[in-house]
Amino acid sequence: MAEFRLPRNSRIARGVTHAAAAGATQVRAVRIYRFNPDSGENPRLDTFELDTKSCGPMVLDALIQIKAATDSSLTFRRSCREGICGSCAMNINGVNRLACTTPMQELQGDIRIYPLPHMPVVKDLVPDLTHFYAQYAAVKPWLQTRTPAPPDRERLQSKEEQEKIDRPAACILCACCSTACPSYWWNSERYLGPAALLAAYRWIIDSRDEATGERLDELEDPFRLYRCHTIMNCTDVCPKDLNPARAIAEIKKMLVERTS
Amino acid sequence: MVTSILNRFTGAGLSVGLLLMVYWLTAVAGGPVAQARAARILSLPVAKLFYVGLVIAFSYHLIAGIRHLVWDTGRGLEKSQARRSAWWVAAASVALMLVIIYCAWLGGGHPR
Repeated sequence: MAEFRLPRNSRIARGVTHAAAAGATQVRAVRIYRFNPDSGENPRLDTFELDTKSCGPMVLDALIQIKAATDSSLTFRRSCREGICGSCAMNINGVNRLACTTPMQELQGDIRIYPLPHMPVVKDLVPDLTHFYAQYAAVKPWLQTRTPAPPDRERLQSKEEQEKIDRPAACILCACCSTACPSYWWNSERYLGPAALLAAYRWIIDSRDEATGERLDELEDPFRLYRCHTIMNCTDVCPKDLNPARAIAEIKKMLVERTS
Repeated sequence: MVTSILNRFTGAGLSVGLLLMVYWLTAVAGGPVAQARAARILSLPVAKLFYVGLVIAFSYHLIAGIRHLVWDTGRGLEKSQARRSAWWVAAASVALMLVIIYCAWLGGGHPR
C-alpha cells in the first residue's frame, strides 16, 4: 500500500556537522544519512565538509576519505571500485547509482547520500537486501535442461544467440533499478521487481535453456510480473545501461503470443 | 516518472468526471424538472472550470495511453526513445486539448 510519510522511527533528524580541516582549499559539503540500530535514535543527516583535493574524484573516494579521516563509524558497502560488483549502490543526489562510478564533479550543489530507497536499513548506507536476493533466487537463475548435454563438449550457442543474452546477463544485481521503482516500493512483497525480471528474461531467451514454459508459467501472475506499469525508472537509473523495462515488455509479449 | 504520475492522476480525474456524466444521464432520464435543474447546475462557472480540467485529463490520458500501447508491442523502450516520446506526449496532448476546447466552446466549425 502506498505510504506518503516515513514511519515515525524513520524520520530524519538534523545531524552533526564536521567542519573542514584548517587550510582546506576545495571544500564541498557531503551530507550523509546516518542510522545506528543500536542507539535507539532516529536516523540523522550528518554534514561532512570535505576537502575534495584530499581524495579521488568519485563519490566512493569521498566516502572512503571521510571514513578514514573523520568518522570511522561511517558504514557502507564497497568492493571493486570500478562498477562491476554492485556493492556501493546508493541514492546520490536523488538518483540511485554506484558511488564508485559517479564523479563528484557531475553533481550539483551539496552531495547528498542516502541508502537505496524503501529498503530496511541495516546501518548508515547499508540496506537489507535479503528479500531482493530471495526474489532473484525465485526466478531460478541457472540453466535448466531436460536433454543430456553432448558427451564430448559443452552446449554451444551461435553468436546471434549469445548476443541476445549478452546485455541482460551483464546485470550486477546492484538493486538500483528495483529500488527506484514505485511499483516495487509499494508491492515488493509480491512484485518481483525489474532486477529479478531482467534475470528471468535472460534465462527465458537463453537458447540452451529448456524450461522456458515453466519460467513463463511462474511469471504469469497479476503481481509478480504485471505490477510493472512501464514507469521506466529502472532503465533510467541502471548504472550498466541495461534495459529491464524492455525485458519486462518482452516477457509480457511472450505471454500473449503463446496463448494466441 | 513524471509522465507515469500524470497518467495516474488524469485517470483518477476521469473517473470523477464519469460520476458527473452519470448524474447528467440520470437527470436526463428523470423528467423535465430534473433536466432543467441539471442544466442549471452543469452550466455553473465552477462546472465549466471542471470541464476544462476534464479536457486536460482526457487529452493527456488518451495520448499517454497510446504511448503505452506502443510500448506493449515492444517498441520505443530505449531510454532515448522514451525521453523523446515523453515530449511528444506533452505536445500532442496540449494540441488535442486546444482542438477540443476550440470545437466545444469557441464555436469552431459550428456556426451558432
